[in-house]
Amino acid sequence: MSIMNYKAVIIGGSAGSFQVVTKILSSLPKTFPVPVMLCLHRLKHVRSGFVEALSLKSNIPIEEPYDKDQLKPGRAYLAPANYHLYIELANRVALSTEDVVNHSRPSIDLSLITAANAYREKLIGIILSGANKDGAFGLKKVHDCGGVTIVQDPNECEVKTMTTSALQLTKADFVYTTDQIIRFLQKIN
Amino acid sequence: MTVTDQDFQVFVFALKSTSRYDFSQYSEKSLKRRLFKVLTDHKMSMNTLISRIKADYAFVEQVVKEITVNTTELFRDPQVWQALRFSILPRFKNNTVINIWHSGCSTGQEVYSMLILLHELDLFDKAKVYATDINTDVIEAAKTGEYKYRFNIAYLDNFDKVIKENPYNYEEYNDVPYNKYFDIDKTNDIIKMKSFLREKPVFKKHDLVLDNNTLYVKFDLILCRNVIIYFNYDLQNRVFELYHQNLYENGCMVLGLHETILGLNAAKFTKKGHAYYKN
Repeated sequence: MSIMNYKAVIIGGSAGSFQVVTKILSSLPKTFPVPVMLCLHRLKHVRSGFVEALSLKSNIPIEEPYDKDQLKPGRAYLAPANYHLYIELANRVALSTEDVVNHSRPSIDLSLITAANAYREKLIGIILSGANKDGAFGLKKVHDCGGVTIVQDPNECEVKTMTTSALQLTKADFVYTTDQIIRFLQKIN
Repeated sequence: MTVTDQDFQVFVFALKSTSRYDFSQYSEKSLKRRLFKVLTDHKMSMNTLISRIKADYAFVEQVVKEITVNTTELFRDPQVWQALRFSILPRFKNNTVINIWHSGCSTGQEVYSMLILLHELDLFDKAKVYATDINTDVIEAAKTGEYKYRFNIAYLDNFDKVIKENPYNYEEYNDVPYNKYFDIDKTNDIIKMKSFLREKPVFKKHDLVLDNNTLYVKFDLILCRNVIIYFNYDLQNRVFELYHQNLYENGCMVLGLHETILGLNAAKFTKKGHAYYKN
């Protein structure tokens, strides 16, 4: 399978996903050809320090975007604490302080749904370890729009709820270990 | 059920043609989601919604209120309020009057945060505080100065961080009692602002899409927090123009934590910490 013509990668995760995301970001080439959106649950009051922690080992720069920022290839964009991260057309992000969804703000479902609408079959959606169901509905939307869906192998997850919920709703294209996810992403060009 | 692009256009057009409301420059993803919520809450089809909008003006007002987002809290983002306390407000301390506009004030929590902070800085009497929103329901709620206690215990943490503690000096602790500014009634689950705070601000309806400065004063400080995220690029620029025209020299604007000025208007302001100063 040729892994070409993708326009964006979006990764959702919660409890137990921090190490996985760190490992993925440290394995991507510096010239990764597309933007990577990260929608990770975290404590509402832990607002700073998360980007710095993720940046320590990352090969690509990570930022918490401002509203209407343009997404650029080879960079990672972390949903800011206490905002939903939407993807608008033309590679722009939009933020929202609407009510929590699945007890979460940012909500992975909302990020995935809007990214699926914006990128259709050119999107790669990935769900990692986590302790609630957020992301399951969004991954289905990615699938329905023709995008590629990847779920971290629940056997490898620190907390399986998020991945098993995603797999119940969608037959993911790939159920991968962290290393397999990395090998897949490295092939994108 | 989802809201299609066509539904969305029809909705915006129906509002525009039957009322003064124009949502065509709102941020599309958020507005679609809110529209979906309105349809779900009313268990209504898109066609029914459009017919009701065309037939019933009171319903239009209701839909507009339901579609706007009203998330706010007391001293939301304490680091911003610490900046207001230690670096922004002190710049205006020698003014004879300090004019402050909370644009998009929602239910008023940040208006009361400002009043409390002004009082602590001995600037309360010389400040004139104006607060506006498109939604008259939230303005009425703001006037009451009354909030749920149980869901809002974080308010007290924020208060402590901004009013009691000093991030630049950990040994400093100002033991300001909560009841100096509000009463907490746990039995009835209420936080109620003191009357001297409630009587101070001028509340008024204002639509950032249509209205110019309807307060007829210029400002030293404009707070517009997590409002422009719901607007597209063009409307954001209109709003920045409006604020720029209505700020005094040396005046400044404070936006939401992840809001910024994109495009031509960026050159008209200088960002220092959490504030954008008029050039």
